[in-house]
Amino acid sequence: MGKNAMRNRLWIVCVLVLSVASVAFGTDYAIVVNPANPARAMSLVELAKIFKAKTTIWPDGKGITLVLREPNSPGTKFILERVLGGTFDEEKAVLNDPSRKTTVPVVFAESDDEVMRIVGGNAGAIGVIDVYNITGGVKVVKIDDKQPFDPGYILKGR
Amino acid sequence: MKTRNYFSWMVIVILTCGAAVGARAQEAAPAANATGTIPVTTQSTLAANAYEMGLVQREDRLFVDEGLEFFRQAVKADPQFALGHAALGYFTADPKEAKQEGALALKFIDNASPDEQLLIRWMNSTKNGETVVAISAMNDLLAKYPTDKRWGNMAAEWLCANQGANERGEAVLVRLLKNDPRYYPAINNLAYCYALSGQAQLAPALMEQYVAALPNEPNPQDSYGEIMRMLGDYPAALEHYQKALAINPHFNASQAGVASTYALMGDERKARTQYLVAIQGTKERSTQIGYRILYAMTYYRENKPRLAREEFEKVDAEAHAAGLTVQEAEIHRAMALFNPDAASALKDLDEAREDLSDTRKSNLLPGDRDNELALILQARVFIAVNAAKTEAAQATLKLLENMAQTSRSTPVQAAFHSANGAVLYLQGDYAGAIAELEEDPQNPLSLQLQAAAQTKAGQTAEARKTLETLAAISDERMETALAAPPARLALKHDATRPAQGGAN
Repeated sequence: MGKNAMRNRLWIVCVLVLSVASVAFGTDYAIVVNPANPARAMSLVELAKIFKAKTTIWPDGKGITLVLREPNSPGTKFILERVLGGTFDEEKAVLNDPSRKTTVPVVFAESDDEVMRIVGGNAGAIGVIDVYNITGGVKVVKIDDKQPFDPGYILKGR
Repeated sequence: MKTRNYFSWMVIVILTCGAAVGARAQEAAPAANATGTIPVTTQSTLAANAYEMGLVQREDRLFVDEGLEFFRQAVKADPQFALGHAALGYFTADPKEAKQEGALALKFIDNASPDEQLLIRWMNSTKNGETVVAISAMNDLLAKYPTDKRWGNMAAEWLCANQGANERGEAVLVRLLKNDPRYYPAINNLAYCYALSGQAQLAPALMEQYVAALPNEPNPQDSYGEIMRMLGDYPAALEHYQKALAINPHFNASQAGVASTYALMGDERKARTQYLVAIQGTKERSTQIGYRILYAMTYYRENKPRLAREEFEKVDAEAHAAGLTVQEAEIHRAMALFNPDAASALKDLDEAREDLSDTRKSNLLPGDRDNELALILQARVFIAVNAAKTEAAQATLKLLENMAQTSRSTPVQAAFHSANGAVLYLQGDYAGAIAELEEDPQNPLSLQLQAAAQTKAGQTAEARKTLETLAAISDERMETALAAPPARLALKHDATRPAQGGAN
């Protein structure tokens, strides 16, 4: 019987020690692609080139589509600042450039589920979602050899 | 005891209705789809029944060891039972067994149905630190089996207790309870999630439900007591602990709960009497040492440091004799934190590090070692900072930084950021210090320094809020004993500056 309560106590200790994760570290953002996409990793510089539409196709020739949450959402704001390095307003302008439609179109989704639906249905799409929402319908790409939860991962939210 | 009889009958029914269950187990996938639960595939009726009993004990009753025994029986009955191996590997606290069983689960994974394979991957990935793989498998299974209560509860517990993703865990539990409002394991977990995620006011109502669901079991009352103690309602906590003891006088966890509640109430003499009963009531050596540490702390709470140190030295000798390395290190860390002399405190911490570096100790798990070492180094930085020993603080911070660069452990990361914040505070970079200390929001010592940094930065309102958070913490930790009372005092005197004292 005592083990029963002991388990509760362990639970408490775990949470007291570990619950910092949700409060302090926020969430990590995952870069996801279609599972058929051979890409497994890329550098932050390469990712920035996609965001800036300087890289427009994957190595296999497929056109790239960028899928993000609404431009004013806190997650997208954080991602733009981390990936592109400038201020949010500057980077939003990069995404809204009309010429992108013929290079790397940007699709804004209303939810992470929608991001995953679009990426899962488009072999050339690349998206950004909260890592806690990933499913088997997408593939997570490492950035600078690190994936979410790795120490030093660049897209660790606060 | 009505509830115990109910569970005894459940065991008999499950173990004697083997043929039916076994047949279902062999044709697992179709049956699972019909019932909305993840399939279980084994060729052995006995294995299927033992696996089910393992879940009953471990997940429904929260009887950890009994559950493990059933999982062991399951894989003994069917050595190629992939999910059985995975479950045993997932639930065991023995790292050797976890590694071995995880490998066997993978070896026989082709025997399992596709969805079981996902569950096996989730179990193995959570143990191996492959969190991204685990989340992906978890979300696929939660979407496909939204009414599988045990699975949902297990996933939610992992989210809350292991990942600190309380809101996500709560969402899963709320959804489960919408389907079955009487599923008490989820009620219990949800209460703990709420209590620790800033929605404590929602926990007692859930505890009422938990107690009502199992009126003859002591654990719901014990959990209720623990929740009320966390909320700072000590009379209610005592009442529920006493109710648990009335149901089962040998329910030792509640005995310790009574003792700790008295300690938090400031009645240290009564606390010691109750701790002695709890110490005598357990045969587990590590549990005894844990209670002895709490017993020694009562002298610090009473401001009798000499007596406290004497007690800690006695416990240290016992922990050393028992080969309980982490506890030895924890004892030295406690002695350091309560030591008013910085140089002497740093020596205590040297001893704590020596405890952990004793490679002759075979019972030391790498994760436990790293987490305790990170806390020791963090304490060392805090003590050095408080004594304005810049060089010592920076040298120790470097060690923590090296750990944080290679460890995914949240406690290691939190300790590093907090220690970095302490050094930034010493350097006068208060904004930087605040940002770093905020990464360790449940550590009373970090909160204390954060309030100090906010005050220095002119953030008076934020400093007060931090102090209020600190003052509201009500648990047995030594850091709480050090930092929470001065914060309460400061608030009482309507001071916006953080209280002095704390680590060294």
